[in-house]
Amino acid sequence: MKYIGKEVSRVDGVAKVTGMAKYAAEFQLKNTAYGYIVQSTCPKGTILKIDTSEAEKLPGVLKIYTHLNTPKSKSQSGFVALQSDRILFNGQPVALVIAETFEQARYAAQLIQIEYKTEPFNTELEKAEPKPARSAKVRGNPKKAFEESPVKIVAEYTIPIEHHNPIEPHAAIAAWEGDSLTIFVKTQGVKDMQNHLAQSFGIAKEQVHVISPFVGGAFGSALNPHYYPFLAAMAARDLKRPVKLSYTRRQMFTGHGYRPYTWQKVSIGATEDGKLQSIIHEAITNSSSFEDFIEASNNYGRSLYNCPNYDTPYRIAKLDLPTPTWMRAPGMVSGAFALECALDELAYKLKIDPLELRLINYAETDPDTGKPFSSKALRECYIKGAELFGWKNRKFEPRSMRDGRWLVGWGMATGIWGAFMLPASVKITYKADNTAYVESATSDIGPGTYTVITIIAAEFLGLPIEKVKFSLGDSQMPDAPLQGGSFTTASVGTAAQGAALQIKQKFLELARKSDPVFSNINQEEVEMSEGYLRLKTEPSKAISISELMQKNGLKEITETYTARPSSERQKYTTMAHGAQFVEVKADEELGIIKVTRVVETTATGRVINKKTSHSQEIGGVVWGIGMALQEATEIDHRYGRMITTDLATYHFPVNADIHEVITEFVEENDTIVNPLGIKGMGELCMVGIPAAVANAVFHATGKRIRQLPITPDKLFD
Amino acid sequence: MIPAPFEYYKANSTDEALKLIRDFGEEAKFLAGGQSLIPMMKVRFARPTKLIDISKVQELRYISLDGDYIKIGGLTTHRELEKSSIIIEKIPVLAHCAHEIADIQIRNVGTIGGSLAHADPSADYPPVVLALNAVIVAKSIAQEREIPINDFFLEAFTAELRPDELLVEIKIPVMKPNEKAAYIKIGHPATGFSVVNCAVKITLDKEKIEKARVAFGGFVTVPYLDEKVGEFLIGKPANIDTITQASELVAEGREVIGDYYADADYRRHLAKSVFVRVMKKALEI
Repeated sequence: MKYIGKEVSRVDGVAKVTGMAKYAAEFQLKNTAYGYIVQSTCPKGTILKIDTSEAEKLPGVLKIYTHLNTPKSKSQSGFVALQSDRILFNGQPVALVIAETFEQARYAAQLIQIEYKTEPFNTELEKAEPKPARSAKVRGNPKKAFEESPVKIVAEYTIPIEHHNPIEPHAAIAAWEGDSLTIFVKTQGVKDMQNHLAQSFGIAKEQVHVISPFVGGAFGSALNPHYYPFLAAMAARDLKRPVKLSYTRRQMFTGHGYRPYTWQKVSIGATEDGKLQSIIHEAITNSSSFEDFIEASNNYGRSLYNCPNYDTPYRIAKLDLPTPTWMRAPGMVSGAFALECALDELAYKLKIDPLELRLINYAETDPDTGKPFSSKALRECYIKGAELFGWKNRKFEPRSMRDGRWLVGWGMATGIWGAFMLPASVKITYKADNTAYVESATSDIGPGTYTVITIIAAEFLGLPIEKVKFSLGDSQMPDAPLQGGSFTTASVGTAAQGAALQIKQKFLELARKSDPVFSNINQEEVEMSEGYLRLKTEPSKAISISELMQKNGLKEITETYTARPSSERQKYTTMAHGAQFVEVKADEELGIIKVTRVVETTATGRVINKKTSHSQEIGGVVWGIGMALQEATEIDHRYGRMITTDLATYHFPVNADIHEVITEFVEENDTIVNPLGIKGMGELCMVGIPAAVANAVFHATGKRIRQLPITPDKLFD
Repeated sequence: MIPAPFEYYKANSTDEALKLIRDFGEEAKFLAGGQSLIPMMKVRFARPTKLIDISKVQELRYISLDGDYIKIGGLTTHRELEKSSIIIEKIPVLAHCAHEIADIQIRNVGTIGGSLAHADPSADYPPVVLALNAVIVAKSIAQEREIPINDFFLEAFTAELRPDELLVEIKIPVMKPNEKAAYIKIGHPATGFSVVNCAVKITLDKEKIEKARVAFGGFVTVPYLDEKVGEFLIGKPANIDTITQASELVAEGREVIGDYYADADYRRHLAKSVFVRVMKKALEI
C-alpha cells in the first residue's frame, strides 16, 4: 500500500489554520437577520404572561416569536421550541428575537418580561423513582451464582452530568426560495438534518439543502438536530429573508444534550483463584420528563470477560432537565468506569495483579452470543501496553511507590467498542487530466475523515493525494450515515474503495476494446497507477488512462458505489479493543492528582492514517483524564438550573494537565468486518481511561473514589 | 458580556480625580487597571453610571525607599512590583506575590491599589500586606489619612475606604535580616484565584520565633491575620514540631466558605497544609 497505513497530514489542515475552512455561522448571505434565543428561568410549569412590548419598540427589531405566534412544526417528535406554554426545563427557549443586527436582538431579548406559574419539580436522581427501561437478557443465574461465590465485591459508582464543549457553538443560517430551504448548519449528519427539516415543514426532502462542510468539534452534540435549525428556518420563512441563529456558550449547556448522570452498582462473585462467576451490573441514568434517553452503560462487560452468569438491569429516572444525548463513548465509558474499577477492587481482595485478573477471565469467544470474534488482539494489547509501561515493576500494595513527596500509583483498565458498519455511498468522478473528485454526504467533525477517505480513494485510483479532492457535508451528495459510533471510516471508506474499484473496472472494459493485452485480464490482475492501467505482474504492460479516455471521447467518468455490511459479519462478534495503563502522582497533603504517564494500546483492525489516528487516541486519553478528574456539570437543585455553564467553571484538561501520553496500535488483519479491515477508534480510545485513572489513584493513595470526578476534597472524605 | 451604559471621565492628576469623585458621589467608580471592575461590569455585577479613569495619573505610579518603609504608588502595576529591583531586594515576598497574580497581560495593567481597594477575599495581595503590616494611605479632597492594614479589609469586596477617597499609597516596612517571609497560594485551576492562600512574616531571635504575623485568604470572606497561630508561635523554637503544632490552630473557630469545587472541610484542610508549607519555605527548613 502506498498511502494506507502511512502518516499523512490533514488534507484540510491548511484551510483550517488559514481560516479558509468555513463553519456554519461564517457563511455570508445578503440581507441576513439575526436571532437571539430567550430562555426560561423556571424549571417546570406554565408561561402565564409574556410581555414583548418594550422589546418590540426598539430600533431594528423585526419580530419576536413566542409560543403565541410561532407557526407549528409538522413534526412534534423530540423537543420542539415555542410550541406551547409548557415549561419542561430551566433554560428552555421561550422566545426568539429577530433583529437587523445581533446586538439589537440580544438587547431586545433582555427587555422581554415573562411570568411563570412554577410547579413542583425534581432535578435529583436520588429523589426520583426510576423505571425499568429495557429488558436485558439474563445469562445463567446471576443471583444464585453470586450468593454461592466464595469472594464477593459490591460497589456503587456515580458519574455526574457532563457536557461536550466543542469550541464551535451550534449555529444555523436559513434561507428560503419559494418552498425550498437552504440551511448552513453545524451537524454530524446532513441527511438526518435534511429529514428533520423536511418533516418539520411538511415538504419533500429534495426541497431541503443542508450544507455543513466543516464542524468545529461535536463529540455527539450535533447528532440530533436540536431545536434551533427549526427556529432559524421558521423565522426565515416567515420574514422572507435569511436568518442566522447561534447558541451562546451558556445556551450550549441546555440546547444540545449531555452525558446523563449515571448511578451504577456492580456485584461480582468470583472463585478464590479469580475466575468470575457472576456479574450483576445495575445502572440508572437520568432522562428528561418528555423523552426516554437510554444508553448501554451496564452492557459494557458482557462480551468482554468470561463469566457464566450475568445480569444488566437498567432503569431511567425522569428528571425536570433537558434530555441527555450521546457524548463520546456513550454508555461504554460509563460502564467501564464502574466495572473496570470493580474488577480492580476484586483484584485487591484476591491479591491478584489487576492485569493477571483480566487475563484469567479473557474471553476467546463472545460469551454473550457464543460467536467467535472476527478478530481480537486484546491479549497483544495487554502485553504490549504492560511492556511499554513497565507494569512488571509495579509493587502490588497501595501506597508502596513514591517520588519524593508524591505518592505514585499505577492503574490499568480495558476498553471495548463495537466495530460497526452502516450502508454508505460514495461518488467518484475521474477526469481525463488524472484528477479525481470524490463525494459523500458524511461529516468530518474533527477525526480526519477528509484525509482518510482521500487516502483510500488515492490508493485505489493510483493517484497522488493532492490529485484527489474529497467533498462532504452536503445533503445533495450520495447517502452516508451520520458521523457517530466510530463507524464512518469503515462505512464511507469501504464505499470509497468500492467506487474506485468500479472506476478501474470501467477503464479495464475500455482497455479490453483497444488493447489485446487486456482482453483476458480480470480486475484483480490490474491496478491503476499514476495515470496508467497496469498489469500487476508485468508493470511494463500499461495503458495511459487519459489516452484511453480521449480515444473514447470521454472527459470524465463517474461511478457511485454503495457499501453495505456483509452477511458474513453476522456470524461473528465484531469489536475493537484496547488496554490502558496510567501513572498518577498524588500530593498527600493537598489531594492534588496529576496523571504523569499514560500508555494506551489499541487493536482496531487496520489503521488507515497513523498520524490522525494517533491524534485521535491522544484526544481520547485527554478526554478520559478530564472525565476522571475534572468534568462535572453542577446543578443548583433549588432552581433546577445548570450552573457551571461556561468554560471558566466547567473544567477540562489544559496543556499543563497533560504529561506523557503514548498511544500504540496493534494491527489486526480482519477482512470480515469489511474488505479493508477497518474498525473505529474515536470512542474506544477513551473508554478505559477514567477507570484506569481511578485505579491508579487507589494504588497511589489507598483510597477508592467511586464518584467522578476525583477532585482533591474526595481524598479527605 | 456588554456593560450597562456609563459616562467616562479621564483624570490627569490626583486632584482632578478627587474633585470628580467629590462631585459625583457614590454613583462613580475609579477605573485603574480595570482588571476586576471591567469584568464585573461586563456581567453587570457592577453598574457604575460614571467611570473616572485614573490609569494615566503618572504621579501615583512609583516605588521608593523612604527610611524604614517602601512606598508604593497606588497605580503601580503588578508587573512593576514583580520586576522592581528595590522590591526584590527589600521585600522579596511582595515581588513573588505580584508574580503569582493571573497572567502577564493582566499583570501589565492591573494595579496594586486597584486590587487592594477591590478587596477580593481570593486575591493575592491581602495576606501578604497583612503579614507585612502595611499601611494604606487614602486621600480625599478634604484630607489624607493612614489606615493600618489590620483595619483595612472589612467584608468581601469591601475595604475601609470612603466613597470620596482614593487609595494613593501603600507603605510597607523594609524587611530586616532576622525577618523571614513567604507566600504560597493554591489557585483555582481555571480562574487563578486562590482557593487558599497564606503569607507569613517571622521575626527570629536566634533559634526562637520572636514575632509572627500569619495571614490567610481565599477560604474566608475576609482575609485575616490569624492571631491565635501568631501568638502560639511566639517564643517557640523555629522547627517543624512548632509548625505542625501551630497548624492545628489554623482557622480555629472561623467560618470557612465552600463551593462545588472545594468544600469547606477541604479548604480548612488545605489551609493547614499550606500554612505548613509557607512556614517551611520562610524558615528554609
